[in-house]
Amino acid sequence: MKVMELADLEEDLESLLLDVLTTVLSEEAVPVATDLPPGPRAVARLAIHDEIEDSYLEVAVRIGLPLAKVAACRMMSVADPSTDDVVDAVGELGNIAGGNVKSLLFNHSRLSLPIAEIDDAPGPQCESTVHVRALVLGQVVELSVTPTSDVDDLYWPPHAAGEPTNLEAHQ
Amino acid sequence: MKILVTDDSKAMRMIVTRTLRQAGYSGHDIVEAENGRQALELVSSESPDLILSDWNMPEMTGIDFLRALRASGNATPFLFVTSEGSEEMRAQADEAGALGLIAKPFTADAFAQVLGPVVSA
Repeated sequence: MKVMELADLEEDLESLLLDVLTTVLSEEAVPVATDLPPGPRAVARLAIHDEIEDSYLEVAVRIGLPLAKVAACRMMSVADPSTDDVVDAVGELGNIAGGNVKSLLFNHSRLSLPIAEIDDAPGPQCESTVHVRALVLGQVVELSVTPTSDVDDLYWPPHAAGEPTNLEAHQ
Repeated sequence: MKILVTDDSKAMRMIVTRTLRQAGYSGHDIVEAENGRQALELVSSESPDLILSDWNMPEMTGIDFLRALRASGNATPFLFVTSEGSEEMRAQADEAGALGLIAKPFTADAFAQVLGPVVSA
Protein backbone atom coordinates (compact mmCIF):
# COMPACT_ATOMS: atom_id res chain seq x y z
CA MET A 1 0.00 0.00 0.00
CA LYS A 2 1.47 3.31 -1.05
CA VAL A 3 1.60 6.22 1.38
CA MET A 4 -0.55 8.40 -0.88
CA GLU A 5 -3.23 5.70 -1.08
CA LEU A 6 -3.23 5.36 2.69
CA ALA A 7 -3.72 9.11 3.19
CA ASP A 8 -6.65 8.98 0.78
CA LEU A 9 -8.38 6.56 3.14
CA GLU A 10 -8.41 8.88 6.13
CA GLU A 11 -12.16 9.41 5.92
CA ASP A 12 -12.81 5.66 5.77
CA LEU A 13 -10.52 5.05 8.71
CA GLU A 14 -12.31 7.73 10.71
CA SER A 15 -15.70 6.13 9.98
CA LEU A 16 -14.30 2.77 10.95
CA LEU A 17 -13.03 4.09 14.30
CA LEU A 18 -16.35 5.79 15.06
CA ASP A 19 -18.27 2.60 14.22
CA VAL A 20 -16.05 0.42 16.43
CA LEU A 21 -16.27 2.77 19.41
CA THR A 22 -20.00 3.48 19.08
CA THR A 23 -20.92 -0.19 18.73
CA VAL A 24 -18.57 -1.70 21.31
CA LEU A 25 -18.89 0.99 23.98
CA SER A 26 -22.53 1.93 23.28
CA GLU A 27 -21.57 5.61 23.41
CA GLU A 28 -21.60 8.33 20.79
CA ALA A 29 -18.18 8.94 19.25
CA VAL A 30 -17.35 12.02 17.18
CA PRO A 31 -14.27 12.88 15.13
CA VAL A 32 -11.73 15.27 16.66
CA ALA A 33 -8.34 16.64 15.68
CA THR A 34 -7.10 16.84 19.26
CA ASP A 35 -4.02 14.82 20.20
CA LEU A 36 -4.11 12.31 23.01
CA PRO A 37 -3.28 14.03 26.28
CA PRO A 38 0.05 13.16 27.90
CA GLY A 39 0.05 10.44 30.53
CA PRO A 40 -0.41 6.70 30.71
CA ARG A 41 -2.37 5.12 27.90
CA ALA A 42 -3.36 1.65 26.78
CA VAL A 43 -2.02 0.71 23.36
CA ALA A 44 -3.00 -2.19 21.13
CA ARG A 45 -0.81 -2.99 18.11
CA LEU A 46 -1.11 -5.50 15.35
CA ALA A 47 0.01 -5.81 11.74
CA ILE A 48 -1.46 -6.71 8.40
CA HIS A 49 0.73 -8.56 5.91
CA ASP A 50 -0.11 -7.75 2.30
CA GLU A 51 0.81 -11.10 0.76
CA ILE A 52 0.77 -9.77 -2.80
CA GLU A 53 3.28 -6.95 -2.21
CA ASP A 54 4.92 -8.65 0.78
CA SER A 55 4.60 -5.48 2.83
CA TYR A 56 3.26 -4.72 6.29
CA LEU A 57 0.97 -2.15 7.86
CA GLU A 58 0.94 -1.57 11.59
CA VAL A 59 -2.47 -0.75 13.04
CA ALA A 60 -2.53 0.76 16.54
CA VAL A 61 -5.27 1.96 18.85
CA ARG A 62 -4.27 4.31 21.68
CA ILE A 63 -6.58 5.21 24.55
CA GLY A 64 -5.87 7.26 27.67
CA LEU A 65 -5.85 4.97 30.70
CA PRO A 66 -8.99 6.46 32.31
CA LEU A 67 -11.07 5.74 29.20
CA ALA A 68 -9.39 2.35 28.76
CA LYS A 69 -10.62 1.41 32.24
CA VAL A 70 -14.14 2.54 31.36
CA ALA A 71 -13.95 0.48 28.16
CA ALA A 72 -12.90 -2.57 30.15
CA CYS A 73 -15.79 -2.00 32.60
CA ARG A 74 -18.27 -1.81 29.73
CA MET A 75 -16.86 -4.68 27.70
CA MET A 76 -16.37 -7.08 30.60
CA SER A 77 -19.25 -6.01 32.85
CA VAL A 78 -16.98 -5.47 35.84
CA ALA A 79 -16.86 -2.52 38.24
CA ASP A 80 -13.13 -2.57 38.96
CA PRO A 81 -11.17 -4.01 36.03
CA SER A 82 -7.71 -5.42 36.65
CA THR A 83 -4.74 -4.38 34.52
CA ASP A 84 -5.12 -7.67 32.63
CA ASP A 85 -8.76 -6.81 31.95
CA VAL A 86 -7.80 -3.37 30.60
CA VAL A 87 -5.09 -4.84 28.38
CA ASP A 88 -7.45 -7.56 27.11
CA ALA A 89 -10.24 -5.07 26.36
CA VAL A 90 -7.98 -2.64 24.52
CA GLY A 91 -6.33 -5.51 22.68
CA GLU A 92 -9.76 -6.56 21.44
CA LEU A 93 -10.59 -3.01 20.34
CA GLY A 94 -7.32 -3.07 18.39
CA ASN A 95 -8.20 -6.46 16.95
CA ILE A 96 -11.60 -5.26 15.77
CA ALA A 97 -10.10 -2.11 14.25
CA GLY A 98 -7.30 -4.12 12.61
CA GLY A 99 -9.69 -6.65 11.12
CA ASN A 100 -11.81 -3.89 9.67
CA VAL A 101 -8.76 -2.08 8.27
CA LYS A 102 -7.70 -5.36 6.66
CA SER A 103 -11.14 -5.85 5.10
CA LEU A 104 -11.07 -2.23 3.89
CA LEU A 105 -7.65 -2.32 2.26
CA PHE A 106 -6.68 -5.82 1.17
CA ASN A 107 -7.88 -8.94 -0.55
CA HIS A 108 -5.03 -11.36 0.15
CA SER A 109 -3.55 -10.54 3.51
CA ARG A 110 -3.04 -11.88 7.01
CA LEU A 111 -3.73 -10.25 10.34
CA SER A 112 -1.46 -10.77 13.32
CA LEU A 113 -2.78 -11.26 16.81
CA PRO A 114 -2.92 -8.04 18.83
CA ILE A 115 -0.45 -7.17 21.54
CA ALA A 116 -1.53 -4.63 24.11
CA GLU A 117 0.21 -2.84 26.95
CA ILE A 118 0.02 0.24 29.12
CA ASP A 119 2.71 2.87 28.53
CA ASP A 120 3.13 6.60 28.11
CA ALA A 121 5.08 6.67 24.86
CA PRO A 122 3.79 8.83 22.00
CA GLY A 123 2.48 7.13 18.90
CA PRO A 124 4.42 6.89 15.63
CA GLN A 125 5.43 10.32 14.36
CA CYS A 126 6.68 9.34 10.92
CA GLU A 127 5.38 11.16 7.88
CA SER A 128 3.75 8.08 6.40
CA THR A 129 1.54 7.44 9.45
CA VAL A 130 -2.15 8.20 9.07
CA HIS A 131 -3.83 9.15 12.35
CA VAL A 132 -7.55 9.52 12.95
CA ARG A 133 -9.02 10.43 16.31
CA ALA A 134 -12.41 10.30 17.97
CA LEU A 135 -13.87 11.75 21.12
CA VAL A 136 -15.92 9.39 23.27
CA LEU A 137 -17.06 10.12 26.82
CA GLY A 138 -15.03 13.32 26.60
CA GLN A 139 -11.75 11.52 25.94
CA VAL A 140 -9.64 10.97 22.83
CA VAL A 141 -9.06 7.63 21.10
CA GLU A 142 -6.50 7.41 18.29
CA LEU A 143 -6.26 4.93 15.44
CA SER A 144 -3.00 4.99 13.50
CA VAL A 145 -1.94 3.07 10.41
CA THR A 146 1.74 2.98 9.49
CA PRO A 147 3.67 1.18 6.75
CA THR A 148 6.31 -0.82 8.61
CA SER A 149 8.77 -3.65 8.39
CA ASP A 150 9.17 -4.02 12.15
CA VAL A 151 6.87 -6.92 12.95
CA ASP A 152 9.26 -9.19 14.82
CA ASP A 153 7.52 -8.75 18.17
CA LEU A 154 4.11 -9.71 16.83
CA TYR A 155 2.61 -13.18 16.96
CA TRP A 156 0.88 -14.56 13.89
CA PRO A 157 -1.85 -17.18 14.12
CA PRO A 158 -0.92 -20.58 12.74
CA HIS A 159 -1.42 -21.10 9.03
CA ALA A 160 -4.44 -23.13 8.00
CA ALA A 161 -3.64 -26.46 6.39
CA GLY A 162 -2.67 -25.93 2.76
CA GLU A 163 -1.92 -22.22 3.13
CA PRO A 164 1.48 -20.86 2.05
CA THR A 165 3.85 -20.37 4.94
CA ASN A 166 5.87 -17.36 3.85
CA LEU A 167 5.21 -15.71 7.20
CA GLU A 168 6.92 -18.35 9.26
CA ALA A 169 10.18 -16.43 9.25
CA HIS A 170 8.43 -13.74 11.28
CA GLN A 171 6.93 -16.02 13.91
CA MET B 1 -29.21 -25.55 24.75
CA LYS B 2 -25.44 -25.47 25.34
CA ILE B 3 -23.42 -22.86 23.42
CA LEU B 4 -19.62 -22.95 23.07
CA VAL B 5 -18.09 -19.46 22.75
CA THR B 6 -14.50 -19.51 21.48
CA ASP B 7 -12.34 -16.38 21.44
CA ASP B 8 -8.84 -15.60 22.73
CA SER B 9 -10.15 -12.38 24.29
CA LYS B 10 -11.99 -12.70 27.58
CA ALA B 11 -13.62 -9.33 26.88
CA MET B 12 -15.01 -10.58 23.58
CA ARG B 13 -16.28 -13.84 25.11
CA MET B 14 -18.20 -11.74 27.63
CA ILE B 15 -19.52 -9.42 24.92
CA VAL B 16 -20.72 -12.37 22.84
CA THR B 17 -22.44 -13.90 25.86
CA ARG B 18 -24.09 -10.58 26.73
CA THR B 19 -25.14 -9.98 23.14
CA LEU B 20 -26.79 -13.40 23.04
CA ARG B 21 -28.91 -12.32 26.01
CA GLN B 22 -29.69 -8.95 24.40
CA ALA B 23 -30.74 -10.75 21.24
CA GLY B 24 -33.28 -12.71 23.27
CA TYR B 25 -31.30 -15.90 23.74
CA SER B 26 -31.02 -16.03 27.52
CA GLY B 27 -31.05 -19.06 29.74
CA HIS B 28 -28.68 -21.12 27.65
CA ASP B 29 -25.60 -22.80 29.12
CA ILE B 30 -22.43 -21.06 27.96
CA VAL B 31 -19.09 -22.88 27.73
CA GLU B 32 -15.95 -20.89 26.89
CA ALA B 33 -12.69 -21.73 25.10
CA GLU B 34 -9.65 -19.54 24.38
CA ASN B 35 -8.57 -21.12 21.08
CA GLY B 36 -9.52 -23.76 18.56
CA ARG B 37 -7.54 -26.55 20.17
CA GLN B 38 -9.20 -26.03 23.56
CA ALA B 39 -12.56 -25.73 21.82
CA LEU B 40 -12.08 -29.07 20.07
CA GLU B 41 -11.47 -30.73 23.43
CA LEU B 42 -14.57 -29.07 24.88
CA VAL B 43 -16.69 -30.28 21.99
CA SER B 44 -15.80 -33.83 23.01
CA SER B 45 -16.48 -33.34 26.71
CA GLU B 46 -19.40 -30.87 26.59
CA SER B 47 -21.24 -31.74 23.35
CA PRO B 48 -22.45 -28.19 22.64
CA ASP B 49 -25.52 -27.60 20.47
CA LEU B 50 -24.07 -24.47 18.85
CA ILE B 51 -20.55 -23.08 18.41
CA LEU B 52 -19.69 -19.38 18.06
CA SER B 53 -16.01 -18.93 17.22
CA ASP B 54 -13.46 -16.24 16.48
CA TRP B 55 -11.25 -16.83 13.42
CA ASN B 56 -7.81 -15.45 14.35
CA MET B 57 -6.61 -17.22 17.48
CA PRO B 58 -3.36 -18.68 18.80
CA GLU B 59 -2.75 -22.45 18.92
CA MET B 60 -5.50 -23.27 16.41
CA THR B 61 -7.47 -20.84 14.27
CA GLY B 62 -11.23 -20.91 13.98
CA ILE B 63 -11.19 -22.20 10.41
CA ASP B 64 -8.88 -25.09 11.36
CA PHE B 65 -11.13 -25.82 14.34
CA LEU B 66 -14.15 -26.02 12.04
CA ARG B 67 -12.36 -28.18 9.48
CA ALA B 68 -11.16 -30.59 12.20
CA LEU B 69 -14.67 -30.73 13.60
CA ARG B 70 -16.25 -31.57 10.27
CA ALA B 71 -13.49 -34.06 9.43
CA SER B 72 -14.38 -35.94 12.61
CA GLY B 73 -18.00 -36.18 11.46
CA ASN B 74 -19.31 -33.58 13.91
CA ALA B 75 -22.07 -31.44 12.38
CA THR B 76 -22.72 -29.02 15.27
CA PRO B 77 -23.99 -25.68 13.89
CA PHE B 78 -20.99 -23.34 13.71
CA LEU B 79 -20.92 -19.56 13.33
CA PHE B 80 -17.87 -17.31 13.04
CA VAL B 81 -17.77 -14.08 15.05
CA THR B 82 -14.71 -12.29 13.73
CA SER B 83 -13.21 -8.88 13.06
CA GLU B 84 -12.55 -9.79 9.42
CA GLY B 85 -15.59 -9.98 7.21
CA SER B 86 -14.11 -10.15 3.71
CA GLU B 87 -15.87 -12.04 0.92
CA GLU B 88 -12.88 -14.37 0.71
CA MET B 89 -13.27 -15.37 4.36
CA ARG B 90 -17.04 -15.72 4.07
CA ALA B 91 -16.50 -18.08 1.14
CA GLN B 92 -13.94 -20.11 3.11
CA ALA B 93 -16.31 -20.30 6.07
CA ASP B 94 -19.16 -21.44 3.86
CA GLU B 95 -17.04 -24.04 2.11
CA ALA B 96 -15.88 -25.45 5.45
CA GLY B 97 -19.46 -25.83 6.66
CA ALA B 98 -20.15 -22.75 8.78
CA LEU B 99 -23.64 -21.29 9.07
CA GLY B 100 -22.19 -17.85 8.42
CA LEU B 101 -20.01 -15.08 9.71
CA ILE B 102 -20.88 -12.18 11.98
CA ALA B 103 -18.38 -9.34 11.63
CA LYS B 104 -17.18 -7.39 14.67
CA PRO B 105 -18.32 -4.89 15.78
CA PHE B 106 -21.80 -6.41 15.87
CA THR B 107 -25.19 -5.61 17.32
CA ALA B 108 -27.78 -7.77 19.03
CA ASP B 109 -29.89 -7.44 15.87
CA ALA B 110 -27.11 -9.02 13.80
CA PHE B 111 -27.03 -11.96 16.20
CA ALA B 112 -30.81 -12.36 16.16
CA GLN B 113 -30.91 -12.29 12.37
CA VAL B 114 -28.32 -15.02 11.92
CA LEU B 115 -29.23 -17.17 14.92
CA GLY B 116 -32.98 -17.00 14.47
CA PRO B 117 -33.23 -20.12 12.31
CA VAL B 118 -31.03 -22.27 14.61
CA VAL B 119 -31.53 -21.15 18.21
CA SER B 120 -34.77 -21.08 20.15
CA ALA B 121 -35.15 -17.90 22.20
